[in-house]
Amino acid sequence: MRLHERQIFNFTYRMLGDEEEAEDLTQDIFIAAFKGIRKFRGEAKFSTWLYRIALNQTRNRIKYLSRRDFFAKQNRRAQHKEESPWENPEFLADSAPTPEQWTLTKSMAAQVQECLNQIPPQARQILVLRDVQGFSYEELSEMLSLNPGTVKSRLHRARSALQQRLADKLE
Amino acid sequence: MECREYEAQFNDYLDGELSLKERETLKVHLRECLSCYRKWNSLQKTKEVVSRLPNLNPPSYLSAIVMARVKERPSRRLTCSFSQLPKWIPLGAVAALVLIVSLVLWQVLLPSVPLRSRVSNQNNTPNIGSTSRQPVSKWTTTREESQAPVPVMVLRVKDFSRADRELQSMLRSIYGPMFTPTRPLNSSSARLIDIKVPGQRFSHLLRELHKIGHLDQSQVEIRGSVNPQKQKAISIRIVVVGNGSDVEIHQIRGVKNEPAGTE
Repeated sequence: MRLHERQIFNFTYRMLGDEEEAEDLTQDIFIAAFKGIRKFRGEAKFSTWLYRIALNQTRNRIKYLSRRDFFAKQNRRAQHKEESPWENPEFLADSAPTPEQWTLTKSMAAQVQECLNQIPPQARQILVLRDVQGFSYEELSEMLSLNPGTVKSRLHRARSALQQRLADKLE
Repeated sequence: MECREYEAQFNDYLDGELSLKERETLKVHLRECLSCYRKWNSLQKTKEVVSRLPNLNPPSYLSAIVMARVKERPSRRLTCSFSQLPKWIPLGAVAALVLIVSLVLWQVLLPSVPLRSRVSNQNNTPNIGSTSRQPVSKWTTTREESQAPVPVMVLRVKDFSRADRELQSMLRSIYGPMFTPTRPLNSSSARLIDIKVPGQRFSHLLRELHKIGHLDQSQVEIRGSVNPQKQKAISIRIVVVGNGSDVEIHQIRGVKNEPAGTE
């Protein structure tokens, strides 16, 4: 469990945007995994199998939380924040030397997370798995039971959805 | 090639999936076309920002809670399935069963007497219903839970008096200003606190305790019958021990068996 808990916790956090909810969901994912461990036949990698459980549980939790207006409240809270970390000249686009030299401050990361929260869950999950957690197209295709072409096109749509939301802040 | 076709290659370029020739052609175009360069720049920054999001550390007690919930699971299943039913269903089922058994016994024991005369002679016949009625016993799991040992948590702190103050103010913020269920543990650098935490706030409490000191994981005894997440309220005993305290673990364990609230 210790091998995977950090990765799963970060996945759930990026999907829900809330640490306490992520903690609770991570617990449920590992309990579901312990419960279904006998069904794991070693046909796929263990991490792929675990992520399939994580994806299902996350989908259900998002539905549950949406019914309770959790994300609407989260967005309202985010709008009230007055911080504008993007004014940091180091971060500002072309004036900064190279993207590799950027450092994401805590508040910048929070703003990126807010933008992530605004894109549809299906797009968010593929973006988090590929661009945050670094899974390959083959692994994503196995986890999501989709062919690589579909994974690719969904990822491209997800990136442009996030790009639109981040655009003002990046310019 | 038109700009739209170059744009379609942006994502493949980001993922390193373009051939050398395609890459070179795209680079040349990006140098010449400002509009495409801006779009490319924005997409590249988006990917860069997302991939630089920090990784958070999960709370250290996460696996302890998961293991406790996994152990607890089989015993909960019975309680859950019944508790999820509307209250009238088990009551109705018991009532129907009692009625059926009474009627069957009535028919079997007194077959020769017609029903009407049986009703009129009710006072003379043995009261089968009352003798067969049994008191409804509690569910085993509930009884187990009420007798479950109180989990003990050992919180080791560097500066005892400071940690003691922090802990008390944290507990007052949860339970209100009148909260004072603490007592010294025959030592100036140890304290024992008995509290009842709502199940939903159990994780929150653990997080707060982690901020104050080191919560000794090996001492966190969450028994199989205790489910911090689902249980309405859970009684726990926190033993705060300062560095260099003369209180030893076996003393703490001894305290565990005392009745709660004794001075």
